[in-house]
Amino acid sequence: MPRNSIPKPETNVVSKKSRLTILKFFVLVTLAIITLRLFFIQIIEHDYWIAKADKEHTLLETITARRGEIYMMDHKEPVAAVLNQTSYQIVIDPTVTKKEDIQHVIDTYAKDYAVANLEEVYNTEGLRYSIVAKNVPRNVIEEIAKEEPSAIWFKKTNQRVYPEGSLGSSLLGFINADGVGQYGVERSLDEVLSGKDGLLKTTADINNVALSIGNDNVKIPAEDGKDLVLSVDRGLERGAEEIAAKHIEKTPATNAAVLIMDPNTSEVLAMSSIPNYDPNHYSEVEDASAYLNQVTEVPYEPASVCKSFAFSAAINEGVMTADTTYFNQGYEVVDGWEIKNAEQRSSLYGTINMRTALYWSLNTGSIYALKLLGGNPAAINQTGREKLYDYYYNKFRLGRATGIELNEAEGFIPDPNDGWGRDSVYANMTFGQNLGITMIQTATAYSAIINGGTYHTPTILKGELKNDEIIPLEKSSDKVSEKILSDDTSASMREMFINNRSYKKQNKIDRNGYQIGGKSGTAQVIKNGAYDDTMSETIGTYIGFIGTEGELPKYVIMVKMWGEGHYIDGQIASYLFDDLSNYVIDYLKIKPKV
Amino acid sequence: MIKNRKHKSDLVILFATLGLMALGLIVIYAIGPRRADVLNNTYGTDYDSNYFFFGQLRAVVLSVLAFFAAFKWIPYKYVKKYAKVLLIISLALCIALWVLAELGSGLAKCELGECRWFQLGPVSFQPAEFLKLAMVIYLADFLARKKEEGNIGKLREFWLPLSIVCGLALFLVVIAEGDLGTGVALISIIFGMLLVSGIPARQYLILSALVLAVAVGAVATSSHRMERVDAWLATMSGSESSDSTYHIENAILAIGTGGFFGVGIGNSVQATGYLPESINDSIFAILGETFGFVGLFLVIVVFAVILLRMLKVAGGTAAFDEHLYIVGVFSWMFAQVVVNIMAMTGLVPVTGITLPLLSYGGTSMIFLAYALGLVLQLSCYTSREVITNEDISSRGRLGGSHHSSRRRSS
Repeated sequence: MPRNSIPKPETNVVSKKSRLTILKFFVLVTLAIITLRLFFIQIIEHDYWIAKADKEHTLLETITARRGEIYMMDHKEPVAAVLNQTSYQIVIDPTVTKKEDIQHVIDTYAKDYAVANLEEVYNTEGLRYSIVAKNVPRNVIEEIAKEEPSAIWFKKTNQRVYPEGSLGSSLLGFINADGVGQYGVERSLDEVLSGKDGLLKTTADINNVALSIGNDNVKIPAEDGKDLVLSVDRGLERGAEEIAAKHIEKTPATNAAVLIMDPNTSEVLAMSSIPNYDPNHYSEVEDASAYLNQVTEVPYEPASVCKSFAFSAAINEGVMTADTTYFNQGYEVVDGWEIKNAEQRSSLYGTINMRTALYWSLNTGSIYALKLLGGNPAAINQTGREKLYDYYYNKFRLGRATGIELNEAEGFIPDPNDGWGRDSVYANMTFGQNLGITMIQTATAYSAIINGGTYHTPTILKGELKNDEIIPLEKSSDKVSEKILSDDTSASMREMFINNRSYKKQNKIDRNGYQIGGKSGTAQVIKNGAYDDTMSETIGTYIGFIGTEGELPKYVIMVKMWGEGHYIDGQIASYLFDDLSNYVIDYLKIKPKV
Repeated sequence: MIKNRKHKSDLVILFATLGLMALGLIVIYAIGPRRADVLNNTYGTDYDSNYFFFGQLRAVVLSVLAFFAAFKWIPYKYVKKYAKVLLIISLALCIALWVLAELGSGLAKCELGECRWFQLGPVSFQPAEFLKLAMVIYLADFLARKKEEGNIGKLREFWLPLSIVCGLALFLVVIAEGDLGTGVALISIIFGMLLVSGIPARQYLILSALVLAVAVGAVATSSHRMERVDAWLATMSGSESSDSTYHIENAILAIGTGGFFGVGIGNSVQATGYLPESINDSIFAILGETFGFVGLFLVIVVFAVILLRMLKVAGGTAAFDEHLYIVGVFSWMFAQVVVNIMAMTGLVPVTGITLPLLSYGGTSMIFLAYALGLVLQLSCYTSREVITNEDISSRGRLGGSHHSSRRRSS
């Protein structure tokens, strides 16, 4: 049809225009609706979507602080006793990871570390995350990575390693599966060791990989835990444990605890509870009591060892000397109770001096010291009780936490006035019964007695290891160094302790040129709420000091031995002390007097 | 005989088209590496970080070539001559793809169970895109012919052949390929062109009602499509999130976080894996996050300008088939723009349709660019009032160029 024919093109154009107008209108209306919708979403609802996006896009990740390592001393040099080791977990997403791929990786490289049953993993519906191998070392991971496996991930984890195995286990403790310190230094110094975790708040992609997008990314760096150096000497610790283990084998005892410290600083040089366990495999321990640090966490009755405290109290008060005499009839009746001496040889009956009483560990002797403290040689009185309490609790700090950097039990010292039968209770206290004190309390107080009379708060921490240097940590204000006894009292007590061991010297157990003194204790065990007078089960304790003759003592050694249902006395404990004292002399090369 | 003098083409369409292509290229340059990361991390693929940028660059270069080929080099009358042939080839390709897919041939590339691409080595090709162009060219010729013959609206001469062609095309696209998005674009093309074809209003309304009923039926009987509608309704009513609402929710989240000015180029977080199809169907949402309300408004204005300019060009064409052709291209582009954006803003259910000229993809951009190039060619021969007036005094040659020759033997 010719285009210029009239009038058809006219009508054509009109209809064309009007229908195009419909389309034009349609375009404008739909685009206007869209624009309004966009205005609503982007301007009015903007804050809502921003908040929602924040929630979805923000990755909050804890930056784990590195846990501090623990060192012991090897003479003058720090050596590692607890280390961190990086290992890896192999992680898969069963919906993405091909089963044959992971099977191949496990079979070829990581068989020893596999922890999951792949059949089970792949049969579990909806499982998106599965750890298939654990504690895989770095070199193995590097081998696997060379194959460039797809959809197999490696997750870095930290493993705590105790390179010395069971050495000092009750002292060191371990960390549990959650990375929290349990027992020992791992627990008591957990806060210092664990440091402070940091925080990473960042925008992340859908696979939780941090993006560099966004302005409100936060990164609080982790404060790594401190590497700590213990005052414990590794060689001394090992020697002490080996010797104690041998003595357990030789005697009916099943357990032993050893403490070696410097009496002049109260620095602990060895501390162990035998038998040990391996903190690398702490879960294999059957009886949780094996975790306990017998030196600080278990109060007990050190028995006659405590005569040292009663004697030094009376001497320091000026009411008694080593040569003070009293009449020993082998027993004493207090509050209607008959208190007997363990040693009943007839040669001891009659008037004897305090030196002899301590040598034979006569209970009547220490009770006499208590009487003298009260100013009445005939009977125990309130003044005596209060004075003894003052020495025990306030000066020797018995029955109180010492403040050492370990978990401690407090124990208890009975009140001098409150309660029934105070006199008999206090009579018992002079020879170490009716109270509960720990080895660390006992040894620290004993150190004060023989070091010239100054009580130092015990410590096991030398400081922080930083750039190969040991930097002392800030001292807690609770640390005390307090002169509690006179020099004369201390000298007099040393003389008596050395006298106690005169037979050891004669028997050449104690070598010439050294001064070695000590005191034993045999404690009855409380069975069914009362002392078991048959002495069928006892705990043997021995405490003593060693040093060069004519000088102040250098080391205090305390041992405790026991075994359920067995009679372990102070004599048995003294044999362990004998071996330990000679070992310490050799190991630390203490020079004899020439 | 009206002979419209050749004049300058519609520069607005030209620059708007090239501008959108450039914008798409920039955005894909920014988010392509994220997309590669996500795919590599999730599926263990090994895409280079610039893989998608170079893919898009290639598509843009080919599209610009197609655009100028249509605009400058291949006159519409030649194209028109092959309208039937082009339609038959495109339908044949769709059938071939369907058969190959049914046979499980490696030549048919399938994604998520839908086979829409030929795969020949590194080159993939989506025949449905070709079909859209062929349909526009064919229908323009067909409708103009029927109009001239005076057969518009007649059952045997008009509705029967039309139904067969449209029915076959829709069957191949929607049923065989499961490509609802292209189906929507095809329906829009058919309805847009019929609207201006001069069929009686009553027939047009009846047909609309009929197609609406079929569409509702098709959605209601397909669980897959129903799921999308459910998801859309759930998003609109703000109910619990689910896997199906995830796409729409994250699209709106992206747009919403953009605010007024957007987070800026390269700062899109939603593109790092949260938003599915971030470089293809969802690119509008990424644009919203990146450039904010201002950016999206400008994009919409540019689309509006192209669409309205096309209508203006259509209004001035001398020949009816040209008029129809331009309306067809308009309807095609309009459907894709509106359906894509409305899906991204939660106004309609997600159908899986690309945003013209911006989305990542080769075939769709190349064919639309060709279609627009042809519109641009036709824009050189429109009658405009000013020009009509000038015609009288003009000293220019009449019919000087073979392009402007509008002889028609009837």
